[in-house]
Amino acid sequence: MAVNTVDQAVISQGLIAAAREMGVKLVRSAYSPVVREANDCSAALLDRHGNVVAQAELIPMQLGPIGATFRPCAELFPTETLVEGDFYINNDPFQGGQHLQDVFLFSPIFFEGVLVGFGATVAHHLDLGGGAPGLNPDATDVHQEGIIFPPSKYNMDHDWHGGPLERLIRANIRVPDQTIGDFNAQFAANGIGGSRVQGLCARFGETVVREAMDELLDYSERRMRAAIRALPDGIYEGEDFLDDDGITDAPLRVQARVEIKGDSVIVDYAGTCDQVKSNVNCPYASTVAAGLSCVKSVLTSPDIPFNEGSKRPIEVRAPYGSLLNPRRPAPVRARMLSAYRAYNAVMKALAPSAPDKVIAAGFDSTEIIVLSQLKADGYAIYLEILGGGYGASTHGDGCDAVDSPLSNCSNVPVEAMDMEYDYFRVEDYSLLPDSGGAGRYRGGLGFQRRYHILADDVTFATYSDRFRLAPEGLFGGADGVCASTQVLRGDQVIELPSKISFPLQKGDILVARTGGGAGYGEPGERAASDIERDLREGYMTQAAMRADAAE
Amino acid sequence: MRVGVEVGGTFTDLVAIEDGRVRVAKVPSVPARPDEGAMASLAAGEINLAVVDDLVHGSTVATNAILERKGAPVALLTTRGFRDVLFLQRHNRTQIYDLFYRKPKPVLARRDILEIDERISGQGEVVQALDLAATIVQLDEFLGSGRYKSVAICLLNGYAEPKHERQLAALVGERFPDLTVTCSADVTREFREYERTSTTTLAAYVQPVIDSYLRRFESQLGAQGFKGRFSIMQSNGGRLPVAGMSRNAITSLFSGPAAGVMGAVRQAGLSGHGDLITLDMGGTSTDVCLVADGKPNLSGETEVDGLPIRTPVLDIVTVGAGGGSICWQDDGGMLRVGPESAGADPGPACYGRGGDRPTITDAHMVRGTIRTETFLGGKMDVNASTAANVFKSLADNLSMSIEEIADSAVRVADANIVGAIQLVSTARGRDPRDYVLVPFGGAGPLHAARVAEELGIATILVPPNAGVLSAYGLLASDFLQYETLTRRILLGEGAADQVREVFAALRQSATASFRDLGILADLAISYSLDMRFVGQAFEITVDIDGGALPDLTPDGLLALFNEAHNRVFSFGESGLHRAEIVSFRLGASAPPDVVPALNEGISDAVVRSESQVFDLGEWRNCHLVSRAAIAGEAMGITGPALVEDGTSTIFVPQGWTATVDGQDNILLHTEI
Repeated sequence: MAVNTVDQAVISQGLIAAAREMGVKLVRSAYSPVVREANDCSAALLDRHGNVVAQAELIPMQLGPIGATFRPCAELFPTETLVEGDFYINNDPFQGGQHLQDVFLFSPIFFEGVLVGFGATVAHHLDLGGGAPGLNPDATDVHQEGIIFPPSKYNMDHDWHGGPLERLIRANIRVPDQTIGDFNAQFAANGIGGSRVQGLCARFGETVVREAMDELLDYSERRMRAAIRALPDGIYEGEDFLDDDGITDAPLRVQARVEIKGDSVIVDYAGTCDQVKSNVNCPYASTVAAGLSCVKSVLTSPDIPFNEGSKRPIEVRAPYGSLLNPRRPAPVRARMLSAYRAYNAVMKALAPSAPDKVIAAGFDSTEIIVLSQLKADGYAIYLEILGGGYGASTHGDGCDAVDSPLSNCSNVPVEAMDMEYDYFRVEDYSLLPDSGGAGRYRGGLGFQRRYHILADDVTFATYSDRFRLAPEGLFGGADGVCASTQVLRGDQVIELPSKISFPLQKGDILVARTGGGAGYGEPGERAASDIERDLREGYMTQAAMRADAAE
Repeated sequence: MRVGVEVGGTFTDLVAIEDGRVRVAKVPSVPARPDEGAMASLAAGEINLAVVDDLVHGSTVATNAILERKGAPVALLTTRGFRDVLFLQRHNRTQIYDLFYRKPKPVLARRDILEIDERISGQGEVVQALDLAATIVQLDEFLGSGRYKSVAICLLNGYAEPKHERQLAALVGERFPDLTVTCSADVTREFREYERTSTTTLAAYVQPVIDSYLRRFESQLGAQGFKGRFSIMQSNGGRLPVAGMSRNAITSLFSGPAAGVMGAVRQAGLSGHGDLITLDMGGTSTDVCLVADGKPNLSGETEVDGLPIRTPVLDIVTVGAGGGSICWQDDGGMLRVGPESAGADPGPACYGRGGDRPTITDAHMVRGTIRTETFLGGKMDVNASTAANVFKSLADNLSMSIEEIADSAVRVADANIVGAIQLVSTARGRDPRDYVLVPFGGAGPLHAARVAEELGIATILVPPNAGVLSAYGLLASDFLQYETLTRRILLGEGAADQVREVFAALRQSATASFRDLGILADLAISYSLDMRFVGQAFEITVDIDGGALPDLTPDGLLALFNEAHNRVFSFGESGLHRAEIVSFRLGASAPPDVVPALNEGISDAVVRSESQVFDLGEWRNCHLVSRAAIAGEAMGITGPALVEDGTSTIFVPQGWTATVDGQDNILLHTEI
């Protein structure tokens, strides 16, 4: 029996609101800056089979494959064996997880003894052990990146709250107070999602809620298929490159073949380079998230609720052993970088057939900055995530200085850093004029952060990309400007590569400059009023203007 | 005589009280010159300004100045290296899959920002001192251009130590005495530079606009003999004498919705109800607010046009569901209502002004819950068959009858309102079943009962003259001002003494400030602390009972905090983290004189008749009664019934009973 229109609307809205509330409360009760300021976390409600029905719109990358992260848990520990207080945990990159730092927790929701769904949260944990605080760029396998939680089942009463799992984690990580606090915030958010679903069951009955969940999936699927059907059938190809793997200088190729057939899409990454020795390998779940997010963003209005149903018409394939589906025990910490090229390759493939729906390439990288110090009373770890300029489109200039499309982290306010970290101070946080590629619409600007190092023995670790290969302009637009990292030490300027660990000393100035987005359309077609504004407001300088004209 | 004048987007309302008698008036607003509408309402109410001793005013001047970007040309002084804070914002997107995302647009441009060499640390120590001589040269060049009317000063970590902000303000004041100067430390003292800079800039942006608007209005009042006290409504639900606005203009944002809540609080209070959820449903949207024990919830976070503001405002959640909201079907086949609205022009299809898409008002007309004869007191010509026609294609697509689709659309709108109420109740750890629902605004009383059922609320209170409740709220509001201070104190020995010390100082400053504004009445003081576990970044507000303050202990404080944290986040202390106080807030209020019930112009005509409504899938016979008819029934009237009361209609579904109480409030009750 179908749920009536009104109940369906009420329950759908209730589920989406509950997921959103889970996300808000996870952020607001968390402890580490990476969760509570940068919001590197996500939340979702799953049906009893583990299909995502509603999500808090936080980080596309984490949300993409939550169902795939769930399934290995349920295969090993069937859902019918679960009891109140049980939870699943998984961060294993080779069994549905992404990178180790993103730990997924699933808490079953029971109504009158019947399993109706799961509350799910994922948070990026500041440090999970491994070879270096926060980020180990030199890891040669996944074991050097931290502790692995294979798909498992535990119980809150038995294993948490001072129990064996909590003690095991605490002993193997560097900043346990923050990390355990963040785990608690995840559990609490799962519980809040659970009580909201129970409330809906009490109001409408468990059967109606279950049917409404099914319909919500079908609804998103219908809308997704309608959007795909509007595109001409065909096979489209696109490729993009990472600068390097951080060990050699050779660019890494990512190839996408996008087949649109009726109301479904197949994204096949055959032709992508083999997996590499460094941490830029991208686990399959992350590859799926990248492909899905691109198709969803290009084809559909932001209004369509993203859930397991909207994923049904889209299949993502990647050859086993490639950069986008690596074999164990490949290191995967910087998987975002390859995931972005997987995203760019699909975007480029879709550009000719949907020129008004795509955007030019942007900085499209996650730049991680980790500054850590071993103090007398333990480690202090600072981690932040930097985006850059968005690519331009036929609708206007790319967005300036914003997190890249697969992520959505906020910055850490400088005042929040000043309150808690005494070994560095940000002295400049500003837009980088001229960093966006010229075009009828220009690319978004990158930005810089200058960190003044206030103590000796501070370790800087980073990964980033687009230091050497610029994001490509679209339909005549110019490329965006590359990113760079420098250390100013006295009179010395030390240029650093994009993926490295580097010891800093007191007085050093670390300058991180992120890249701009590429332009869209011929620069000669840019409106005079836009040029005039860019010059007046200093988004563009006269010198850059003259250089463009000379070309 | 006491007079409240509320300037809204469409109408300007007036409520006057003299010798316990209430008088009301409603005139069209003059959007470009709000004071004209206000003066017109005084004329329409035949108010002799010479005998008015208390005039309270609320307007949309501040909000519109921001929305229409018509504030004063504003310059921002900030710390070297942080010129772009307003453009960088928080580096995130509100729509994660939107490739064409644009950030909210600040009210000033990049070249309007001057960087000053200085730095205060997060602990409030001077890292780099202000070089006065060099700064003067910079200021003279930058402000000497004469381009600006207003200057915002927001320096990094200025919340911890405002010394440099004060020095800069003094320099600007000396050299450019005509400029309005706004320091962040006077507006908000919370960390996070983007939000604080945004708040300070917006405050500086609206200040000169409010100043000149109030000066102009005051002189017009004076010309007509007004010698009484003139005060202004604020977004925190209280009012301030006009002199208090000279550095607090930002608090006059959103004063209209706040006044409505205060009117509801006062009118429900007369009947002994203090735990309320207010539901103000207008043409394009619905505002809801939770009130506990007569005090509306406050929120420290709000935004206008996407730009954040961090000053305490009533915690009002707005959802795009009003009488004009459009009913439509999306490409997945789901029936949707709003957020798009037909607005006042063309308005709902039944207005016959060219609206060709179905709205909620049309839906009510189709299902008989609004009757053409009495719509808006019978003063408006509406067409029921047009209302039915515009639902036809929706009905065909969804294989429903016209009535069924209209009925479903109303219930989808109800669901949107329910969602908004859950945000202010369940999501804040409050159970809506413990509250009385107070609907007002044109359409509120039509939707209240079904909304209440969804939430398990058993009692609804409909105030009389719900159409001018905001203007009444102006008169019913206290003089109110908040004093805040950010000071981190770890809970431990001595913490309670520090709390008492800080509150004593804040109290002294509040008393002095009220004295300066000429308010000499006894002040009611409320105390609250924003607390968190060490390491968290967001605080929970913990109310402290003034009577318990002298005996407060650190353990007692911890228990209060734990309870609040547990209520919101469903977990409390785990032994892992200590708790800390982050900031202090003291509210000082002075109540106005006794305000009589808003019972003017209530008709005593007894109407008893029958009608039909389409509700929950079928046509049902229902009573059609006037307020006086209910009052005549000792046991009240049982639903289904329509109560037509002046400009609003109350829908009483099956299972509900309507009665009138001694304060002229209509009460609906059901057994849950």
